[in-house]
Amino acid sequence: MAEIAAENDRAKRELAEAQREREKEELGRLEALAAPVLQISDSAEILAHAHLVAAGYHRRKGEYRRARG
Amino acid sequence: MPEAKSSGHTPVALELSEETRGRLAELRALSEKAEAGDKGARKELRRMVLSSSEEVIGRASDVGRKAVRTLAHTAAGGDPLTEEALYAKLDLMRAEIAGENPTPLEVLLTERVVSLWMLTTLLETLLATQYRRNVGDGPERLSPSYLIQQSRILESATKRYLAAIKELARVRKLQAMAPVRVNTQVNVLGG
Repeated sequence: MAEIAAENDRAKRELAEAQREREKEELGRLEALAAPVLQISDSAEILAHAHLVAAGYHRRKGEYRRARG
Repeated sequence: MPEAKSSGHTPVALELSEETRGRLAELRALSEKAEAGDKGARKELRRMVLSSSEEVIGRASDVGRKAVRTLAHTAAGGDPLTEEALYAKLDLMRAEIAGENPTPLEVLLTERVVSLWMLTTLLETLLATQYRRNVGDGPERLSPSYLIQQSRILESATKRYLAAIKELARVRKLQAMAPVRVNTQVNVLGG
């Protein structure tokens, strides 16, 4: 009886482990899919900021103001 | 470098080159110095924006378009009609958001909005499908931690999407008051 229970526990553990692995892989795929878009988003942010600073603005508390002088 | 198959099964690069990333890092560093009051840095930043942002914007826009096509391809799930409909929808969005005679920076910011819209739409659809699958006690039931992590990815993408819309509006408004001209040809509807 104890052997059957132990075997049952082992099978459950293996199933749970396999599911964790599948979910980890799936999350990895999602992150890989999102990564290029997030990289472009960050690049656009840097470029927009550079353009505005070059045009004489500075950012204060998230808002842009014209730099004096 | 991560690669993805385009709809035509041609591998496309989905990452900015090291050189482009280096220039972006330089632009960021100069912006920070200029904002801190370094007049020399502002002058150098202005020079760099005029001379090299043209190429960086072009490359980033190009990678953005490729990335959004990959997302559309995934979202279509192998149905060519859905895929073409998505491409048409994306082109329409680009044209509507960019408006007439957009600056290259506006084109890039438009690509950012469009790609984040595609990403959030895809993630929402996936999450909704998985929630439906999770009803009941079947063997395909996903763990709560997995669903929470996926929701976090969606939440992060949604925040970026909303910020991207705000940023485009802000750049339009502020550049109209103090334009920095960069002469680049970027094809808004290019695939």
